Amino acid sequence: MKPGSLLARHVAPVPTSRRWLVPMAWFILLLMLSAGMGQLEWLFRLVEPDVREVIYRRAGFFALLGQHVMVVGVASLLAVLLGVGGAIAVTRPAGRDFLPLVSQLASIGQTFPPVAVLALAVPALGFGTLPIVVALLLYGLLPIVRNTLAGIDGIDPDVHEAARGMGMTAGEVLRQVELPLAAPVIIAGIRTSVTVNIATAALGATVGASNLGDPIIAGIVNGNTAYIVQGALLIGLLAITVDSVFERLQPASQA
Amino acid sequence: MIELFDVTKRFGSEVAVDGISLRVETGELCALVGTSGCGKSTTLSMINRLIEHDGGEIHLDGQPVRSFDEVALRRRIGYVIQSTGLFPHWTVARNIGLVPRLLKWPKGRVRERVEELMQLLGLPVAEFADKYPRQLSGGQAQRVGVARALAADPDILLMDEPFGALDPITRETLQHELRELQARLHKTIVFVTHDMDEALALADRLVVMHQGRIVQQGKPIALLHDPVNPFVESLLGGMDRGLKEAALIQVGERMLPLGPRLLASERIAYGASLSQALSVMLWHQVDRLTVVDEEDIPIGELSLRRLLGAKAS
Ligand SMILES: Nc1ncnc2c1ncn2[C@@H]1O[C@H](COP(=O)(O)OP(=O)(O)O)[C@@H](O)[C@H]1O
Ligand SMILES: [Mg+2]
Repeated sequence: MKPGSLLARHVAPVPTSRRWLVPMAWFILLLMLSAGMGQLEWLFRLVEPDVREVIYRRAGFFALLGQHVMVVGVASLLAVLLGVGGAIAVTRPAGRDFLPLVSQLASIGQTFPPVAVLALAVPALGFGTLPIVVALLLYGLLPIVRNTLAGIDGIDPDVHEAARGMGMTAGEVLRQVELPLAAPVIIAGIRTSVTVNIATAALGATVGASNLGDPIIAGIVNGNTAYIVQGALLIGLLAITVDSVFERLQPASQA
Repeated sequence: MIELFDVTKRFGSEVAVDGISLRVETGELCALVGTSGCGKSTTLSMINRLIEHDGGEIHLDGQPVRSFDEVALRRRIGYVIQSTGLFPHWTVARNIGLVPRLLKWPKGRVRERVEELMQLLGLPVAEFADKYPRQLSGGQAQRVGVARALAADPDILLMDEPFGALDPITRETLQHELRELQARLHKTIVFVTHDMDEALALADRLVVMHQGRIVQQGKPIALLHDPVNPFVESLLGGMDRGLKEAALIQVGERMLPLGPRLLASERIAYGASLSQALSVMLWHQVDRLTVVDEEDIPIGELSLRRLLGAKAS
């Protein structure tokens, strides 16, 4: 038990409107910067005084942001469904045989660089958005699987025995006991997965998926630091926004 | 009524329970005692099918447990374990109401039942209903555990070392409360413990297990008098058996009416045990005590001679 969690229950909850103030602030900053990057031309001039164009204009930042969010969103949604579902499956009696295999794969997979996943996905799936979605899905699966396994595994076996002994069905144990008790750990896994994938998605630009990675790649190719900063800034803001949303979603640990 | 006929359980090559036959009458409290690992918990868990037996038969009121749906079976059997197994993310009230909710009782009836049980177990509703298990002491948590097991008013209660993790004073209080509860509710209880004093204090029937088998069973006093072998004898306390038996007999059963003599200066309660009476005599170096009732009014006397002589009967 975290020392603060006992107290946290009795402190009056922060009103919803105030609770979401921080993520809102980051989100608004993200939108403003996407819309008004052009206004900061003078600033980027300081970075790159010699190039002809200092603001990336091949595509609108809004569109790039939208595509970025889309790719990460789709990949993460699939990763959550597959990851949580898979981890649940291998912790059921019928799937127990696969538990060692899956938990080993999940920890080995973490050491595999995302670029390598992408390099393997392209020959199989061609250029475009699909390989990056697949790469993000595979890479994002790992923390989710690992944390879901840890969360379910971390439940006191006596709580589990009592649940069964009281006459709960397997489904009732899962929904009313295992998932709620594992939720903080599972959400932490999803949080890691999504935030890492927001950064990793930028690699998609190298395989022809257009997103916030485009300005970065273009900047590297053309030696234009201003482009790189613009892409990186928006990716960073997006990651911070999403992370601060998760921070507020995360319930206090029960165990 | 619970009956076990030649029940066996193996874990791999190890035989955990080896041909046990046992009959627990309705309303009886049967204590399973024995050293750790002798198969007590396994025996208990086979009754509600948390563990399936591989040989023999287990019957509830004449019906094999395998003939019931296992979930339905467990909902009609109360189950209490040492570590309580309370759900940490649920309040006390919600924990207690678990089985009635699983049985789809109407909300109002669940709430009434929960409050009734909290009162029965000495847990003031206003103070405890909204607490979480981690905010409870060990004794309070186990009271909640017992309340949860009783919630749907099962006929049968299985208790696996329910008071084993409590300090001696709390343990004795809860033993006492369980006895009073049992006097009112007449459940059929199988109670696992490795604490012989607890078993002697609570059991109508005592079952001594060793290495997966029953070595002896019967009324506690009968076992104290006639242990079948040195193992049972030492488990029952060896040389302390005299005191353990004396602990089972109330002063009231042995006292004589007040005689013409002066009242003895030291007093003992009517409901105290002979071992407590003996202790008072030893302490004050007297051989006669005045027996008093709940209001401390003298109602009889107990002499050392009477205390000792009675034992032979
Ligand atoms: N799930 C299990 N798997 C394998 N062996 C078990 C299992 N449960 C109990 N045993 C073994 O069965 C024997 C009896 O255990 P148990 O019934 O828990 O004993 P007790 O409750 O009397 O201490 C022990 O040797 C124990 O190691
Ligand atoms: Mg045990």
